[in-house]
Amino acid sequence: MDHASPMTRWLKGLALTLVVIFFMFPILWIVLMSFQTNETILRMPPSVVFTPTLENYQALITGKLVSSAGVLEIQFMRNLMNSVILSVCSVALSLLLGVPAAYAFARHKFRGSEDIAFTLLSFRFAPPLLVLLPLALYFQDLGLANTYIGLIWVYQLICLPLILWIVRGYFEDISPDVEHAYRLAGHSWFSTFRRIALPLAGPGIAAAGLLAFIFAWNNFVFALVLASADKQPVTVGALAFVTASGIQYGQIAAGIVLSIAPTLALALYAQRYLVEGLSLGAVKG
Amino acid sequence: MSAPALELDRVSKIYGAKAARPVRAVDAVSMSVAKGEIVALLGSSGCGKTSTLRMVAGFETVSEGAVRIAGREVNRVAPAKRNVAMAFEGYSLYPPLTVRENIAFALKSARLPREEVARRVAEIAHLLEIEPILDRYPASISGGQQQRASLGRALIREADLHLLDEPMGQLEPALRALLRGRIKHFVKERGLTAVLVTHDQTEANALADRIAVMEGGVLQQFASPAELKDRPANLFTGTFIGEPPMNVFQAQARAEGDALRLGLGEGVALDYPAAGFEPAVRETILKRGRVTLGVRPHAVRLDPAGAPAEVAANQWLGDQSHIAASFAGGTLVTVEHDRARLRPGDRIGVRFEPADLHVFDGETGAALSHGGRAA
Amino acid sequence: MTERKPPAIEIDAVTKRFKTDVALDAVSLSVAEGETLALFGPSGAGKTVLLRVIAGLVEADAGRIRIGGRDMDDVPPEERGVGMAFQNFALFPHMSAFDNIASPLTARRQSGEALRAGVEKLATMLKIGHVLGQAPKALSNGQKQRTALARALAGGPRTLLLDDPLRNVDAKLRFEMRLELPRLLAREKATTIYVTQDYREAMALGDRIAVLEGGRVTQLGTPEEVYLAPATLSVARLFGDPAINTLKVTPQTDGQGPFVLLSDLRAPLDDGLSHAAGRPCVLGLRPEAVRFTEAGAPGAVAVTVEAETPLNEKTVTLVTTKRGREILVSRPAGTPGPAEGAAHIAVDSAHALLFDAETGARIAPRETTRRGAAA
Repeated sequence: MDHASPMTRWLKGLALTLVVIFFMFPILWIVLMSFQTNETILRMPPSVVFTPTLENYQALITGKLVSSAGVLEIQFMRNLMNSVILSVCSVALSLLLGVPAAYAFARHKFRGSEDIAFTLLSFRFAPPLLVLLPLALYFQDLGLANTYIGLIWVYQLICLPLILWIVRGYFEDISPDVEHAYRLAGHSWFSTFRRIALPLAGPGIAAAGLLAFIFAWNNFVFALVLASADKQPVTVGALAFVTASGIQYGQIAAGIVLSIAPTLALALYAQRYLVEGLSLGAVKG
Repeated sequence: MSAPALELDRVSKIYGAKAARPVRAVDAVSMSVAKGEIVALLGSSGCGKTSTLRMVAGFETVSEGAVRIAGREVNRVAPAKRNVAMAFEGYSLYPPLTVRENIAFALKSARLPREEVARRVAEIAHLLEIEPILDRYPASISGGQQQRASLGRALIREADLHLLDEPMGQLEPALRALLRGRIKHFVKERGLTAVLVTHDQTEANALADRIAVMEGGVLQQFASPAELKDRPANLFTGTFIGEPPMNVFQAQARAEGDALRLGLGEGVALDYPAAGFEPAVRETILKRGRVTLGVRPHAVRLDPAGAPAEVAANQWLGDQSHIAASFAGGTLVTVEHDRARLRPGDRIGVRFEPADLHVFDGETGAALSHGGRAA
Repeated sequence: MTERKPPAIEIDAVTKRFKTDVALDAVSLSVAEGETLALFGPSGAGKTVLLRVIAGLVEADAGRIRIGGRDMDDVPPEERGVGMAFQNFALFPHMSAFDNIASPLTARRQSGEALRAGVEKLATMLKIGHVLGQAPKALSNGQKQRTALARALAGGPRTLLLDDPLRNVDAKLRFEMRLELPRLLAREKATTIYVTQDYREAMALGDRIAVLEGGRVTQLGTPEEVYLAPATLSVARLFGDPAINTLKVTPQTDGQGPFVLLSDLRAPLDDGLSHAAGRPCVLGLRPEAVRFTEAGAPGAVAVTVEAETPLNEKTVTLVTTKRGREILVSRPAGTPGPAEGAAHIAVDSAHALLFDAETGARIAPRETTRRGAAA
């Protein structure tokens, strides 16, 4: 597709570099911030030259926030742990329920199947706060408020529709004849699902899982309303950095770095499968 | 002096040029297509014919060599500026437009008068038998209809070059036979230049003035259908062109007095008197020793006094019978135009006239002789 | 054909609708043990749907399928003992060719040496032993097709369903497989239904041919019956390349019995056909049943030669009669043809077919088998 002369090619490269800098700059700046004290961050004019310090990370890991107003106890590591538990468990549950459901929706057109699938998607449309108020009351009554189980359940509103709709598309892209051929070879439908449909939709399942994980990880409102301090994920816990003596930019930056690390690691890991999925072009042919 | 409509000058397409093992999908292909000529790129899947066409259209970069359209080098010219019309294998109609709008699209963009557009759309729709579906949308018509609409969209344009990628692959056999004639007539009448890609030799034979046979990215032979059949340049073209395919046998050539003896294995040997081959050809064949012998199925003569063979299958197709026989350790196919009454297990004798023999180099596969004359 | 045994496959009044379209309209067929039935028809005729109903992949709206005498109503596909090859191969893209072929064996909990031996035996027979370790993506079309065939055969099925398996391979391979398949099927002793759009494949491979048009079986018979005595005009049009010549005629009768007039030529009909006199009819003449003759020879009709084209070892000539009727004449390639311009043709009236113009039903010849046996 490239019919460009060297000059336009050079200009294209320059434009791409600018775009990359534009998008990467905030992340780079935050990483730099996380190794600085509040004073060096706030000095005017800002500078990229500073003596790096691990103070911020130390504070987060030990849970002792030292500020001009004194020592403050924070639960960052606990919050991080909660985030991991909530996200991993909700995505796992969603995959367990959503993947077979997606397969059913993709392969069996029954009366009302489209309506059910659409209803599940519509959970994503409802403003969360509207759902949350009555839900909070019910959860109080049922004893589900401030429990992992309750939160994981509510997180299904985020993860399940996502997984269902993305994975369904991947199942639909597999030629039914490939599955038919496996059944005619003498295998049951379940074994066909496990040995043919699942591996072939693998990249799609990985992508959907990753996306669901990111959405779950970044969720704020559900946990804000339904969880108290000991079950809070990092998104809610980060509020603690707004202290009486000001905003602790250094710690926030370090907190952000620590909390995007798991998602980033997961994305890098899953990328391999996503690329593999693209090269397995035979699925669609 | 007018330049050829299309000229390929040692054109190559290399995928993964920086990888450890680059793939040469198209390897130094040179050919030139005269204005008003119909040329077919023929080969099996993966032979490089589609990559070649895509380089001409501008959807692939040219790795090496030059593509010239109407005398102008277009290696760095964007597809839209090459003045080329293309019908795609995967139809690629614009979904929000009706078939009529799809076909008229290029003419409308060229600001032709409305009556002119309507007239030409009607004409092409009649030609391709798509009048009843002109006002339907691509999603609601069959694959064959989409393909014809895509063909119509390309043929209606006035361009230096019309590129047709497997233009009739999705059509019913009867319709295909009908449209071949009509399309050829249409293209010739308007003096258009067309390059089509196909894997179907019947289509290439029926439509093209000349056929470029490709295999492994290399142009094997570029010649008229008759010449491809009578004088194949190498073993590949010889066995690729022709239905049923040419019979081939490995043979060991030896002089037997004045005669040329071709030993086929399993004790079968064919003797040809000196008159059957030009002296120089006979000399070359003897010098090579190991050669490959090719005989077209319809040229195999049944002769009780000939070399022994045993019938393995006799398939009657209504107007001809295809007979497979085990012969000299291989399979020999012969065509009879009447219904042959042979049954599996019957013993027959076969004979090949020198005039029907194709001899290829046993190692390189290059043709040495056709009908006793030098290739 | 053996008569005593119950049919291996029985299709009893199977009907299938998709929304309002009738794909299969009360189709009934039975296939004898070890027989190969060619299921032939244009695309959209319902061939593939019928195959899927037999395999249990599509549920019929009405009717029954019995395999080996057993009602298949509640039997899931995997328990029907059916091997199937799909038109698009449907290989498992994430498994090697070996694992693809082994899949029917793993379903039977075979493993280790027995599995390996089973797969390798089939692979050697189908000449794909050297590519067993490769993924489908890396195989050529011919190898994919053979892998798919090996997979269909691996479980040793009593019933083999082949859905146009040669459609996506090149001409040479298609021809080789067409000769090879009957031997393979005989060796496997499977009862086979072979779906195809190519009348040559149907005639070469089918012990009998079922012609399916618009969801109905319009003729069931041996290749001889279907080709020489097609039940309807549309069946006659589906067999033969080039297609049969059709001429509108009205039979007349006089003191010597019924006849039709071809140009000024009186072509006598069978005495039993006086009832057809005065009824509008269509005369069907196969291109190979028309031949060139000398002026003044008995039955010679003067024509003008319009065009000649080569087609698969034949030469096809388009001629027009004085009354402007177009007739295709075919003759073996290489045999002498008419001089340019004026020529004379003669029709072999024993090979002429007469159809009712309104219903399309065949009027003459009246028997279906006589000439098949005599040919």
